[in-house]
Amino acid sequence: MIDDSRLSVAVHELSSSSKRRFLLMIFLSVVISFALVLTSLSIYNSSGAAQLDLSRPGYQSVRSQAVTNDSDFKNYSSSGSINQTTISEFMDLYAGQATKAKAVDAFGGDPLSPDALGLTLTAN
Amino acid sequence: MKISKKALIISLVTMITLSGVTLLKVSAEGTAMTDQQIELIRANCLSTKNTLNQLHVSDALLRVNRGQIYESMSTKLMERFNGRVGANGLNNASLTAVTNSYGDQLNAFRADYIVYEQQLASAIKINCQNQPASFYDAVASARLKRTQVNADVIKLNQSLDQYQLSLNQFINDYQASNQGGN
Repeated sequence: MIDDSRLSVAVHELSSSSKRRFLLMIFLSVVISFALVLTSLSIYNSSGAAQLDLSRPGYQSVRSQAVTNDSDFKNYSSSGSINQTTISEFMDLYAGQATKAKAVDAFGGDPLSPDALGLTLTAN
Repeated sequence: MKISKKALIISLVTMITLSGVTLLKVSAEGTAMTDQQIELIRANCLSTKNTLNQLHVSDALLRVNRGQIYESMSTKLMERFNGRVGANGLNNASLTAVTNSYGDQLNAFRADYIVYEQQLASAIKINCQNQPASFYDAVASARLKRTQVNADVIKLNQSLDQYQLSLNQFINDYQASNQGGN
């Protein structure tokens, strides 16, 4: 009879201890995942990945215009001999791509000027 | 240690004066705006926000597409050719120096674009009806940062020209050494 009661108390203690540990494990899991999400978001924002991510809301209109296939940009082989032919081949490749790279006056103009935004008082 | 009342009053007045000067200095850092300008910002608030949003989106696309080309110029052409020249025992020092400088400028372009994008995003978040002066200042700051990104692009283009010059020099040297060898 005494043994049964001791056994019952021990089982009860074990059960409540397991419950506490289970709850603690869930709590710690939530805290750790929260910390990991914060860290990854911070890296996402500070690394510049956010700026390149056109899947963000608000970028739907331009998403299709992003260049996803640059197969016309040939890789020049980094191995092999150097002779007049291979140099000429590189010269042609380089000149063509450099012209493309320089063709656009990226971030030129002044779209943020007060005039462009209509924030300048006009003298009447 | 006794502190006289007079000294206490003088130090208090000095502290108040100094803090006043500091406050004035801080407020003077913002743009001095007339009531008319503030009203103009409020009146054009919606259209300005729309323009900024459109610019934010179009600049993101520009960054992605131009960034890809700038990156490919380095990784698919310059570095590969430099490696091949070096592997053939030819002098690639000048080409490598320009490529390294191009890489530094590409990193500056990336970093400056992040700063610009964050500034523009924070300007867009400002309520131009309630905080017209802050909004104006934030847009002015974004404008400066965009100019810096444009300056980086110009430097990248100059580096591409510089690489072309180094390439021409390399070809001249190569041809001269071949003729000398024959």
